[in-house]
Amino acid sequence: MKENEIQHITSFREHFSTYVSLVILTIMTVAVSVFGADLLSLTVLTAMAIATTKAVVVGYYFMHLKYDPMIYRLLVGIVMLLFVVFMILTIFDYVFR
Amino acid sequence: MMEHFVLPNSGHVRDAESNKLGMWLFLFTELLLFGGLFIVYLVYRALNPDAFLLASFELSIPMGTINTVVLLTSSMTIAMSITALQKGKKELALYLMMATVAAALIFMVIKFFEWNAKIHHGLFPGMETYSSLPAGESLFFFLYFFMTGLHALHVIIGAIFIAVVIAKVGSDKVTGERISLLENSGLYWHLVDVIWIYLFPLFYLIH
Repeated sequence: MKENEIQHITSFREHFSTYVSLVILTIMTVAVSVFGADLLSLTVLTAMAIATTKAVVVGYYFMHLKYDPMIYRLLVGIVMLLFVVFMILTIFDYVFR
Repeated sequence: MMEHFVLPNSGHVRDAESNKLGMWLFLFTELLLFGGLFIVYLVYRALNPDAFLLASFELSIPMGTINTVVLLTSSMTIAMSITALQKGKKELALYLMMATVAAALIFMVIKFFEWNAKIHHGLFPGMETYSSLPAGESLFFFLYFFMTGLHALHVIIGAIFIAVVIAKVGSDKVTGERISLLENSGLYWHLVDVIWIYLFPLFYLIH
């Protein structure tokens, strides 16, 4: 039964590693934007890819999705899919009008 | 005659799982609220690429970066406070939560100076410089103030939420065994962080 399940406790070390990886991703985004403007222009897509990676890391580790029941990951996936569908439909409407 | 019936799980039974599920459902509505605004931003940016680029140079990358790190740090401290309370380290949990609220204050102070500088330049919607800007650039500043403003409102609400939980942990109404409220305030705070993760590159970094 549920009551007997032991609640997972995320270690301090894991939270800290998550934090370090998020800071590294932030530094990467800023570095690409500031120093590599000519080399590799930070388009909306690149920025969104790094931001989405960060959001997934926050969701997976900080928001505990990794250790939560499947239903939470499923729900988050469905909401993201819904949002992406809205976004694509809107962009198509503007691009191919 | 009125039938007396009791809904399943009514009364005083605590159900941590449905507490959390309810919080997630609320977070989904928040995601779609900001999601809609992001779509507005993307469409107007696609229509006015040069104006958005020009306007984005007005924002301070160092300030935005510092604020990003401040929010990431606070996300870590609130996540760690849950670990601490689950391990029975109440005092440590309280300090970590206070650190989170302090980070929220630092974020708001930095944001205040940023907004203040823009307002001094007359870039707030309705001000003189703003009105004389080309349509694309004024759109950028309108969206900048609206989206960062709405986000800041969430920062304030999140900080108040965590402050309430601090009091409840202090009076042992929230403990390692009854941790739902702390977990939910943490989830809310991480959402605030996730939204800023998108706002930062979209407004400050796209050069």
